[in-house]
Amino acid sequence: MAQHDLTTKIGHYLDRHMVAPLLEFLLGKEIYSHKDLMQAKYDLLSKTKMIDYTNQIYKEINGLEDEGDNEPGYEERRAGVLQKFEELTEQSSEIMDMIQDPIVIQQLKQDKLANIQFLSDNYNFKPEMLNALYEFALYNYDIGNYSSAAEMLYHFRILSTDYDLNVSSLWGKLAAEILTQNWETAYDDLNRLKEMIEQRNFTSHLQALQQRSWLIHWSLFVFFNHPKGRDGIADLFFQPQYLNTIQTACPWILRYLTTAVVVNKKRRNVLKDLIKVVQQESHAYRDPITEFIECLYVNFDFDGAQQKLKECDEVIANDFFLVSLQEDFKENGRLFIFETYCRIHQCIDIKDVSQKLDLSPEAGEKWIVNLIRNARMDAKIDSKTNTVIMGTQYNSIYQQVIERTRALSFRSSLLASNIEKREQELANRRKVRGKGGREEAVSTPLEGEDAE
Amino acid sequence: MSRFFRGGESSSESESESDFSSSSSEDERSSKNASDASSDDGGSSDSDSDENAPRKGAGGASRFMRGFAGSDSDDSDAEDKKRVVKSARDKRFDDMRNSVKALKNAEKINDWVAIQNEFEKLNKAYSKANAIIQREGVPRFYIRAIAQLEDFLKETLTNKDAIKKMNASSSRALNAMKQKLRKHNKQHEADIEKWRANPVTEAASADEAAKKAAQEASSEDESSDESEDEKPAGRSKWVKGGDSETDEFEKPKQRTKKKGSKAAAAAAEEKGEPGDFQVVGKGGKVFDVKPENLFKKLREIIEARGKKSTDRQLQMQHLERILEVASTPYQKVKVLLALVPSRFDSAPSSTGYMAVDVWKSASGELNQLFGYLEEHTNIRIVEMSEEEDEEDVAEEKFKNADTVTIRASLSSLIDRIDDEFTKSLQHIDPHTLDYINRLRDETVLYALIVRAQKYFERIDFDLAVDHTKMRRVEHLYYKPDAVIQAVEKEVRNLYPALNEALEEPVALVDHLCTSLYKTSTDRIRTRSLLCHVYHLALHDKFEKARDMMLMSHLQDHVAQTEVSTQILFNRTMAQIGLCAFRCGMVKETANALQEISSSGKVKELLAQGVQLQKYSDKTPEQEKLEKQRQLPFHMHINLELLECVYLTCSMLLEIPNMAANAHEPRRKVISKPFRRMLDYNERQVFTGPPENTRDHIMGAAKALAAGEWQRCRDLIHAIKIWDLVPNTEKIKEMLTEKIQEEGLRTYFFTYSPYYDSLGIEQLASMFSLPVPQVRATVSRMIINEELHASIDQPTNSVVLHRAGPGVETSRLEFLAGLYADKVSSFVESNEKLLESRSMLLGLQQQQQQRDFRSRGGERAHGGYRGGERRGGRQGAYGGERGGRGGRSGRGQGQRAGR
Repeated sequence: MAQHDLTTKIGHYLDRHMVAPLLEFLLGKEIYSHKDLMQAKYDLLSKTKMIDYTNQIYKEINGLEDEGDNEPGYEERRAGVLQKFEELTEQSSEIMDMIQDPIVIQQLKQDKLANIQFLSDNYNFKPEMLNALYEFALYNYDIGNYSSAAEMLYHFRILSTDYDLNVSSLWGKLAAEILTQNWETAYDDLNRLKEMIEQRNFTSHLQALQQRSWLIHWSLFVFFNHPKGRDGIADLFFQPQYLNTIQTACPWILRYLTTAVVVNKKRRNVLKDLIKVVQQESHAYRDPITEFIECLYVNFDFDGAQQKLKECDEVIANDFFLVSLQEDFKENGRLFIFETYCRIHQCIDIKDVSQKLDLSPEAGEKWIVNLIRNARMDAKIDSKTNTVIMGTQYNSIYQQVIERTRALSFRSSLLASNIEKREQELANRRKVRGKGGREEAVSTPLEGEDAE
Repeated sequence: MSRFFRGGESSSESESESDFSSSSSEDERSSKNASDASSDDGGSSDSDSDENAPRKGAGGASRFMRGFAGSDSDDSDAEDKKRVVKSARDKRFDDMRNSVKALKNAEKINDWVAIQNEFEKLNKAYSKANAIIQREGVPRFYIRAIAQLEDFLKETLTNKDAIKKMNASSSRALNAMKQKLRKHNKQHEADIEKWRANPVTEAASADEAAKKAAQEASSEDESSDESEDEKPAGRSKWVKGGDSETDEFEKPKQRTKKKGSKAAAAAAEEKGEPGDFQVVGKGGKVFDVKPENLFKKLREIIEARGKKSTDRQLQMQHLERILEVASTPYQKVKVLLALVPSRFDSAPSSTGYMAVDVWKSASGELNQLFGYLEEHTNIRIVEMSEEEDEEDVAEEKFKNADTVTIRASLSSLIDRIDDEFTKSLQHIDPHTLDYINRLRDETVLYALIVRAQKYFERIDFDLAVDHTKMRRVEHLYYKPDAVIQAVEKEVRNLYPALNEALEEPVALVDHLCTSLYKTSTDRIRTRSLLCHVYHLALHDKFEKARDMMLMSHLQDHVAQTEVSTQILFNRTMAQIGLCAFRCGMVKETANALQEISSSGKVKELLAQGVQLQKYSDKTPEQEKLEKQRQLPFHMHINLELLECVYLTCSMLLEIPNMAANAHEPRRKVISKPFRRMLDYNERQVFTGPPENTRDHIMGAAKALAAGEWQRCRDLIHAIKIWDLVPNTEKIKEMLTEKIQEEGLRTYFFTYSPYYDSLGIEQLASMFSLPVPQVRATVSRMIINEELHASIDQPTNSVVLHRAGPGVETSRLEFLAGLYADKVSSFVESNEKLLESRSMLLGLQQQQQQRDFRSRGGERAHGGYRGGERRGGRQGAYGGERGGRGGRSGRGQGQRAGR
């Protein structure tokens, strides 16, 4: 199963802290050896400032039980971190006090410059303090204190006018919100960040590509956890610039896109685009999920699709982002197969189709009956031969011509009457004006227009 | 005078260039025969030349010593050098004599236009022979000719009737001649007088010539008896003989006497030091170079470069000589930097190409140059630098191992030698051994480029590094792996100091191109990308090649690039097309090749030959440029294969398409050229068995349209050119598969109206396809709404829906549908029209109200601006009326249209 795991690929585009949950998830699955994962986690975290947590993992790896057995250099590092933290708290205490004061908050307005002016006038505010705040927020994030980091960055963003710092603070805030699983704000931040990236004029295409691919990866957290995310992911990723980014930089994202489209009932219209992209990128990336789409819509190989659907189940179960969609995907995949099957076939053997849907014949029949009952399809079951007979949806050419021309005569007569009405109105107005003043009488507008 | 080398080696020289090449004995003899047999007045001039010869010999002695020794060897011993010169002189006079003869003929038929032409020709020849004439005086036949012409002119002018009878151009020529001759003859007044006093007619001079010829023959015998060292004596004898004969001419005689003695002296000198050659410059100067005055000489030569009177050949020789003398590496480098460009100078401009051996020596010298530069790293050659040091100072510096900077452009030398190589390949017939031999030199050139690249990398000259890398890529990208590997290996033999690891060809090209993407020069970036894509396509990496091509967005702005880049782009597209075909992607192939193949100018677009166009409106310059752009033969993409691939793909796409749109064949055309060919083929009354590729494909297309896929396959497989594609068998297999599938689709489109249902198994056996594939194909057609049918699972058959459009529609039904569509679009456009009108109306209404109000306001203010106001209003009124007129006119137009 390891060949379908994308953690290493995705990890390149994530922040160090954000990889930790992924590894945590993998620890629960049995794809990789436990020891390797722990080691990876240790390596990952040893570069952060989360000293205690790292130490804990170290102990776990080395099987140390005692209180005193710590990783080498633990004490010094811990002391250093704490000292630095103290320092930064000191430096930013002033501004922290200021912004935590509800009276101040109330008086702040939209205009950043006015705010700064207001603060420096009334509360002895200095621009350096903002930088201290930023530093402190960064440090908080680094030691794993995400919620306070997010809060500080929020305040920083209200006050700071520095564009670059603003952008990076937004990135930081998004990361912090994701890590605190505050999806609602994360979703807003994501949209804000997207706007910022789109508005910004990058000097090089490469930079733009990087920013977008980072955004795409980070957004996975949000989209697969936020209730509106399933629509959001389709909307965002199908924008041409993001689709291009996926195609050039990170084709594995197609797995998530495909899943999102399959699961989402409202976004069927993008299916065609999806099929095109999957086909185009089939040389660059393929996994059971994209192959499922390929089998179903390119090769019309229903047995193959069924096979792939089974494989998908396993892949999804082992994917951090998709695991919650497992059942949904299965159900919708089945529906996809059946729908396509119905469009092609006129008469379907229930036993056969149940097998294709990975259901028992009785369950299959029930399933189909439910579909028919919900008016999702025009069909009837012939219980004698145990088949489903599809209703024909084709009209004869006469019917078509009649339908196409039915409204025409009405519309034309409406048009004619409209014109007539207007002519009359014009004539009236001319008369009125003729009386009103001789001078204006000459300048009559529009007359004698052809009525045809 | 400077063309000894060339005269010796190439016989394709033009006459005017080979002043001395006429020295071959054959030429000489023919001129002698001419003087013997013809009625020319050769005698007098012959005697002239005899006397003159020794003097000339003196002047040219050293030249013979140096350059001519070889080419003379086939002359018979009996002939000594003087005759060599004589014949050259004769040639000039022969030219003049020919003109005189033509002049006479023209006089006889009274054709003044011809006379004028010939007269001009004669004068041209006269001025060419000016040097000789100054020495010997004006030849008698020339004077005779112009005197006679003058007489004839006078005679004609007196005959007024004849003038009147002349046509316009003739009389114009006559008048022009009258003017010219009067002016011209003034110069020769004295000579003409002399001739008139003592007219020697042609007959007389012919006699003289015969007599002289006899004499000559005897003297020749004499001289042949004489041994080599007696030559001077023999010569003076000759001179004497000449003297006795030419008594009647006083002036020439005296002069020749003087010259004779001089000649004798020169000959003596020659005899005195037969082995010790000296380099003698133009006009007899001795070119003497010693290490002390080396730089002075070098500078002299460099300054003389490019001047009109400079003899390039001689310069080259001098530089070679200086190179021999130069002792220190610094000196050598300096001399080489002058010598290589002078080699390039010797190439004839624009049309021709550099002689192969000159090229070889130039490349050898460049190699030498790089050798010195690699050995002595303290010599730096840069393109842009402050004024460089004086040579002596620099030399001193060099000895002290300080860094010496020389200003020169090595990259331009590399460019030039590469270009000259390409040029020579353009001109050599590719089907000869010469071409192959020349092609072998590419390895040398490639090694040189690699060497240059390494050198530039060492001195950190980025621009030149990029340029040379680009050159390197351009020598590689179109070659198959084996060739690249061989060349790379050879380079390591030729240039052992190369410290570059031997890479796989693909990796090498990839590596070079990737490093070029960082360059700042747009052109190089574009070209390297194209080369890279081409190379990828050559290796059947279609997806990668396509993605790179698309990512570069090159299609959008390739039209703004220079022509050679556009050619490269076209080549790349063609290669991508072929690559897609090899990968079995029919649609992609057709897309890639569409633009090139349907243009009808494939040859031109790929720069593989100039199309012969009947009504070509190209200027000669354009044609010349086009010729210069042609690619050497070994880089060509096989055009026949390209066409074959394109047509085959078109067939696979177009035949089902035509079957699907049977009612409106003109609507959806995928490939125009294919349609045109098919139409043409169908119009023919008799079609014989297919002969060429096209015939095969057309036959196959017809078979496919009729559902006979086996015949179609056989015809396609019979095309011989598939053998040129690697993995021929696989390609044929792929084609078979495609033909089966497209055959099935075509069958459905064509015959489905006549069936109620079709068994899938039966279809599978008809097209020998596996059942799942048939099912998949049918499913795809159903989903794409190409086929209105559905599959009946229990019976495993395709049930066709009779009432569906496009399946069973008769023509009438189809047209009814079309009509309904058109009517509804009419109604829609009517609605839109009214809408826009009412909007316009609303606007005008508003405006009028505003006008009205403002006018009222103005009136309230008082009418002092009345005039202005009225003017404005009247304008508006007029405008409105005009608008109305226009509108009603349009209305009528619409009515008429309906």
